Amino acid sequence: MIQGFLSDYLPTTLRWALVGIVLVALMAATYWVLRRFKVKHGSAVGFVFVLPMTLGLLIFTLFPFLFSFYLSFTEFNMFQAPTWVGLANYTQMFTNDTYFWPSCSLTLKYALYSVPLSLIASVAVALLLNRPIKVVGFWRTLYYVPAVLPAAATMLLWRWMFAPNSGLINYMLSPFLLLFGLQPPEWYTDPQLVLSVFVITSLWGVFGANSVILLAGLKNVPTELYEAANLDGAGMLQKFRHITLPMISPTLFYTLITGIIGALQIFTQAFFMTIPANMGTFLSVRIYQEAFAFGHYGYAAAMAWFMLICIFVLTLIVFKSSSAWVYYENEAK
Amino acid sequence: MTPKIRELLFQLFTYIVLVAVGLIILFPCLIMLTTSLKADVNLFQVPIQWIPDPVMWSNYSEAFVKMDQIAHGLTFVRVLVNTLFITLLGMVSELCAVSVVAYGFARFRFTGRKVIFFTMLATMMLPGIICIIPSFMIWKGLGLIDTYDPLVTAAWLGGGAWAVFLMRQFMMNIPQEMEEAATIDGANTLQIFYLIIIPMIKPALLALGVLIFQGRWNDFMGPLIYINTAAKFPLVMAIKFFQESLSHEAPKWNYMMAVSAVLALPILILYFSAQRYFIEGLNVGAVKG
Repeated sequence: MIQGFLSDYLPTTLRWALVGIVLVALMAATYWVLRRFKVKHGSAVGFVFVLPMTLGLLIFTLFPFLFSFYLSFTEFNMFQAPTWVGLANYTQMFTNDTYFWPSCSLTLKYALYSVPLSLIASVAVALLLNRPIKVVGFWRTLYYVPAVLPAAATMLLWRWMFAPNSGLINYMLSPFLLLFGLQPPEWYTDPQLVLSVFVITSLWGVFGANSVILLAGLKNVPTELYEAANLDGAGMLQKFRHITLPMISPTLFYTLITGIIGALQIFTQAFFMTIPANMGTFLSVRIYQEAFAFGHYGYAAAMAWFMLICIFVLTLIVFKSSSAWVYYENEAK
Repeated sequence: MTPKIRELLFQLFTYIVLVAVGLIILFPCLIMLTTSLKADVNLFQVPIQWIPDPVMWSNYSEAFVKMDQIAHGLTFVRVLVNTLFITLLGMVSELCAVSVVAYGFARFRFTGRKVIFFTMLATMMLPGIICIIPSFMIWKGLGLIDTYDPLVTAAWLGGGAWAVFLMRQFMMNIPQEMEEAATIDGANTLQIFYLIIIPMIKPALLALGVLIFQGRWNDFMGPLIYINTAAKFPLVMAIKFFQESLSHEAPKWNYMMAVSAVLALPILILYFSAQRYFIEGLNVGAVKG
């Protein structure tokens, strides 16, 4: 403990404090320089105040972003300088990597199943929460619990529940299995089922939180609209289809976008669950392995860029489609 | 059926579904708890023991003794201090940076403001993994791999874009009269920031603090990439390490659930004592954005 304090915590704390002080000094110096160049007080102060973020963006986002693009055309192992290999990483990835396409399809399938399912479930729950019920706050608090739990803990928990021989899920399924004379499902090893374990776990993790978000959207729907519809004799389904859905579509759109981006980046969960080797693994995990386990940093960068483009294209499609189904009240048509 | 009875049945249906969903959410959490308290022999027992008998509170201490044996030097106190060190130090610097940066965005006009702001928002869409390799090179170049520096020091430079965005929204809703009055009284910008803005944004600081704490406590990718020595692991990494070595023998699910419960408990306590902030922070982005 004492040794850990001296060797690990203390130097880091000192460097941490030093960086803080240097940053403040840098801000003061920037202000002085800007004023020397006759920049107005307000502009100089504003620029100095956002300086930490500007530096952070430059050093830890923009530089890495562009540099990884360069790395994706090189072979690089961290010990020697990167050597230019042109498109070799990309051709290797698309034509010669046994695990690449399975990993892509696993990641895509995961997003394709988990995101719409969680949206449907959370709209349903949000509609119920929006009814005149007692202690909405209690239900909201309860449903939000899985979203704050660490992904590591929940994944490990579900892995235990899905354990083929002794897990709770198969135990509860056993009467039905016996009835139909079926073998207990091998959740860890059957390629079809492994994906469903991830989908079910993610559903449990996010649908409650999503329904809390959607509930806030539902609360914003003006009641006059429903009253008017009642006067016109609209049924429940009609009201849902023509009032509720259009009015919450901006919130749905937000949940869909963040859901897709989040699902395609699934990472932590894969470390707490076994995936059969022939299925590959999730793309982020593949990138991590290529880089930090095998030392193929250039190749990993190429894969990361491919993933970025996939996410970008998918998001763009959803954005483009949004004008057809997302309704904004203040939008001039 | 009269409308009144129909309404009553519908209300009943609503409550039944709400309770069922609540059970789906609670049940796994309870399983984590009961499993963590079971003796080894009762772990795989059929029919399942719903309430552990005997109740093995000692699993918790034994799990951490076992962890110390597998990962040399990673005692309970050590792993807790590691986690808190990463979480709190980073949180403090991130909060400082966020409030300063958000103030700059909320109150001042300067060249490049829009560019910086929208670049910052755009980075929220960027998958984290794409920047990992060059960032790793930076820290390797500084000789700081396997220290906590990459996890805490970088937080001085702004931290999460969403946090800056939320703080800026909050500051824009503060009326400017106080600041104007203080300017007339001869206060300079630093005094205004320190004496007027900081006290006013305390609720937002608390809310962001809670969310940042949760994010850092649960963070797995950062420690996975930057920390190699077992004695330096935070809890999340310790669990992964533990899980890998324990699944070779008969899986000690009771130990693994005990350690997972220790990881989840502080977050649950924090959540229940400050749940308003969690849900508010979440909604701002969704509804106003």
